[in-house]
Amino acid sequence: MIDQIFVSMAATIAFAVLFHVPQSEYLLCGINGAIGWMVYLFCTSRGTGGTVASIWATVALTLIARILSAVRKMPSTVFLITGIFTLVPGTGIYYTSYYFVMNDLEQCAAKGIETFKIAGAIVLGIIFGLMLPQSWFNQLGRIWNRNR
Amino acid sequence: MSESKEILNLAISVGEVLLKSGGEIYRVQETVTRILEAYGIWDYHVFVITNGIFATVNEQREDAGSMVRYVPIGEVNLKRVAEVNQLSREICEKKCSIMEAYEKLEQCRNSASAGNLALVFACGVGSAGFCYLLGGRLYDSMVSFFLGVLLQMFLFLAGKHYASRFLMNILGSALVTAGSLILYVAGAGILSDKVIIGGIIPLVPGVALTTGIRDLFSGDYLSGGIRLMDALLTGMCIAIGVGAMIKLFQLLGGGALLL
Repeated sequence: MIDQIFVSMAATIAFAVLFHVPQSEYLLCGINGAIGWMVYLFCTSRGTGGTVASIWATVALTLIARILSAVRKMPSTVFLITGIFTLVPGTGIYYTSYYFVMNDLEQCAAKGIETFKIAGAIVLGIIFGLMLPQSWFNQLGRIWNRNR
Repeated sequence: MSESKEILNLAISVGEVLLKSGGEIYRVQETVTRILEAYGIWDYHVFVITNGIFATVNEQREDAGSMVRYVPIGEVNLKRVAEVNQLSREICEKKCSIMEAYEKLEQCRNSASAGNLALVFACGVGSAGFCYLLGGRLYDSMVSFFLGVLLQMFLFLAGKHYASRFLMNILGSALVTAGSLILYVAGAGILSDKVIIGGIIPLVPGVALTTGIRDLFSGDYLSGGIRLMDALLTGMCIAIGVGAMIKLFQLLGGGALLL
């Protein structure tokens, strides 16, 4: 479990480097990514499929990214793009093409649809996360920065 | 140049840097209009899509100005997005004159970002990390690390020769797959599928997907559509690269190879 936390954090930070995130935000990006992955693991361990787990994880990620962006006065994209990488369906892309060339079309279609489902789940998750009005987050950021 | 033109040029240049570095459409649009307002221009129209900015100011007056800027999709650089965001905040608080703003924009453009070595290392760590997260063992992750390093080196090399992005994605994923399968066939005892998945993760269109959704959600359907199309095509390119390489190995092994 602990290894999963650290590895997902390290992987997210690696992507933060790849996308030239400001150095002061590396750790927060990593934490955000790790939280997303934890939510995903928690949901799947409770028996939800990958799709539902992706929705919850993305909602959590998006909300935390927005809070962080208000507190750190950074564009929320910085935390969102790096955090979301733990959930993007790379596995699905691989298995879809694998079964395609293996001529196992039934599995190929199943995996392909699953990939699209997860992509759609991420879409939904981000949309849910963006639904709360921005003014709440601005207020939160103001309170946080005043108390410091 | 009349003053209104100068202000327009500044606003659009700021927007251009933002758009190129991976900012969302509404952010670019808002930044441009806020800068125009900060310098006292209230009669304006700004239209932004994924690869272009169109704007006019003071259409009805003597000093009317209009500009069109073509912005090809560039490398994602979130540091630049953050810095330009800061700059536009300063401009809105009327902290800097037009000339100062130009200077600061130039600084943003040339600001140092992570070096190539750091990028290569980061790509390796990212690949290894995902290989581990998605079910690989420590040993597989180490192999994935080297494939990630190799992949980023290849991307640098291809980028120097202005290869098309689609070709880069196909060849990049083929490279990762080939590397993994060669080791597998040589009897290294790796879980070849996990290694490949880890290796192709840096190519996966996470940025295009996320930005595309945010564009769609803020009502920029055209731009969101462009990004999502980009994400879809990139995903397909990766699949083509992986699939072609697996097929090739299968043919070389006379179909006997159990992958």
